[in-house]
Amino acid sequence: MGSGVVMRRHNLSTVISFEVLRTLRKKQFWMGTLLVPFAIAVVIALNVLSNNSTTQSLDSQKNAKFNFSYIDASGYVNPLIAEAVGGKLTTDSEKAIAAVKSGELEAFFYFPKDPTKEAIRTYGKDGGIFNNGKYSAVASQILKLSAENALGDKTLSTLATEKFKIKSATFKDGKASGNLGDAIPPLLFLLIFYFVILLLGNQMLTSTQEEKENRVTEIILTTLNPTTLVMGKVISLFVIGLTQMAVFTIPVVVAYAFFRKDLHLPNLDLSSLNFSPRPMTIGLLLLIAGFTLFTGTLVAAGAIMPTAKEAGQIFGVAVTLLFIPFWIVSLVASDPNALIVQIFTYFPYSAPVTAMIRNGLGSLSNLQATIVIAELFILGVLVLRFAVRLFRYGSMEYTKRVSVLTIFRKK
Amino acid sequence: MQIVGTDPIIHIENFGMNFGKNVVIDDLSFDVFRGETFGFLGSNGSGKTTTIRALLGIYQASAGVLQVFGREFSPEEGGKLGYLPEERGLYKKESVIDVMSYFGRLKGMQRESASAWSMNYLERVALADKAKVRLDKLSSGQQQKVQLGVTLMNDPELLILDEPTKGFDPVNRRLLMDMIDERKRAGATVLMVTHQMEEVERLCDRVILLKDGKSRAYGSISDVQDQFGNEVIAVKSTNTIPASSNYQILQQEQDGSKLRAREGVTPQVILRELVEAGVEIEKFVPTKPSLDEIFIQVYGDENPWGQV
Repeated sequence: MGSGVVMRRHNLSTVISFEVLRTLRKKQFWMGTLLVPFAIAVVIALNVLSNNSTTQSLDSQKNAKFNFSYIDASGYVNPLIAEAVGGKLTTDSEKAIAAVKSGELEAFFYFPKDPTKEAIRTYGKDGGIFNNGKYSAVASQILKLSAENALGDKTLSTLATEKFKIKSATFKDGKASGNLGDAIPPLLFLLIFYFVILLLGNQMLTSTQEEKENRVTEIILTTLNPTTLVMGKVISLFVIGLTQMAVFTIPVVVAYAFFRKDLHLPNLDLSSLNFSPRPMTIGLLLLIAGFTLFTGTLVAAGAIMPTAKEAGQIFGVAVTLLFIPFWIVSLVASDPNALIVQIFTYFPYSAPVTAMIRNGLGSLSNLQATIVIAELFILGVLVLRFAVRLFRYGSMEYTKRVSVLTIFRKK
Repeated sequence: MQIVGTDPIIHIENFGMNFGKNVVIDDLSFDVFRGETFGFLGSNGSGKTTTIRALLGIYQASAGVLQVFGREFSPEEGGKLGYLPEERGLYKKESVIDVMSYFGRLKGMQRESASAWSMNYLERVALADKAKVRLDKLSSGQQQKVQLGVTLMNDPELLILDEPTKGFDPVNRRLLMDMIDERKRAGATVLMVTHQMEEVERLCDRVILLKDGKSRAYGSISDVQDQFGNEVIAVKSTNTIPASSNYQILQQEQDGSKLRAREGVTPQVILRELVEAGVEIEKFVPTKPSLDEIFIQVYGDENPWGQV
């Protein structure tokens, strides 16, 4: 191995550690990064507390017993159940409402002819904002217990509320396919892609601005190959992005692991997730290739601009490019062979997202995946090389926007 | 003149540089030998910085051969180079020690030695207590010291200093000169781009004068003075000096006169003419002009100091 190669590796690791450490040492980075998990943690905590007190309150309210009258136009209310909680059948709703208003009667319930279409109406004596919920809780409980009683079987009533699980299996070409468990794992790469680009796109745009704005370019160019510098910055951005993702993910995992019931989160059956090597490998390659292309483009755009502020204006365009494929996501799912889907699959800046969705849904063939990955890698490398060139020759233009044409004309 | 080696550490041959149709450098050739201190002189816009940038691969030369350490410069050899560019700056939002260690590592030093070197340097320039302070929190004089430290890291074989004293306060200017002297004594080669003629006369072994992208004089200071010298001649005579097309009378007083030789006319020709004209000469002393005078003579038709 030549000393040049050794030096380049030494410099690459130096740039990565410098860029990563100086970002991780910044208070602003941690303030920005921890704000999201902190907000999530606060929401989760409030949710848990609120759900606990709501559950307790609902339990006590639905079992409350008080004097009330009711009219049952539906015929579903079991008089014995209503009576057990203090209910007395009446026929005059106006009189009952007037009695409630005057305070003679604590509450009056009206069960309409079809409770699935019309609202059950409750009228009650004010017991304070936290106690007034007992009227609707008791009315619901009466109707629920009456329904269960009519069915005569608790399982039947559970089935009637659709609280049951279904496991589906579909087949394509003799093999199991089309499950959500198959789609979710490769689609995680799409999530990472969005996350990294949206969070770090602006940093990519301004990554070479610091050298320019601090007039440090000349020293850098005489001690470091510009390709090494740009590659070091790109890799460090990816590392920082993954760090942020880990920080964001922790509260979600903790919430699911320890507060799933309190938060009424569904019990995900992780065993149904299928981490098949083929879609996972394609997803990973699409992620890396797409990241390379977008990063190269953003770094190149940033190298043209004289200041970070001007470079930042380009970020909006990049974000739009990222979201364009979602305008046709239903078509991607239902008709992957449609012309527009094909165009989006192969157009470089819509290809990563479209191809990752199709990979998750199982509609991206091996040939198509190979073409898209190769296209993205080749173009990504070319754009990165151009970005290096723009940095090399453009960064000496400290105060003005660089002419791309001039850079192209250079030998 | 003290030239330690005869092998050129910098070799520039027939170098040309165009920006579009604008010819900035035209057929420039010179060598800087190992161990010498070389002055690269010229007015603003004469092409000095362009030459340095092309030499270090920052610009692409339009023509010619530019070599450092015997071949085209590559950043991989940056460890042997200490470059103080005209446009200066460092990562202002990082701490002094982080920035110095970073550049030390980029120059090939190990993390520990880069850090140790930086601390030694900071102690020497009385900035040890600022090691963990952000650069933008330092005064401009303190930032200059850090910039100089970055230039000198890894004890480079070759120092290229573009307008080294530009913007430096007197204290840092002195510090810079001491450090250049120190590096020189350690055998380093120094290429210095400057307007400060007193610095050149004090430090440089050889110089090149650039005007409009072309070499106007090249060699040791004495050689350059010879090229532009013998022009001002102090004459003491008993009678009046007659006018002549071979010289210009700058001053004619009782205690002596000063003549400026016309271009291409040697003192010998003037002496012979005066004798033939019957002037009784008591003293005839051709004086070498100082570099300052040469500079003014070469760039006299423009503002040699530009914005300085």
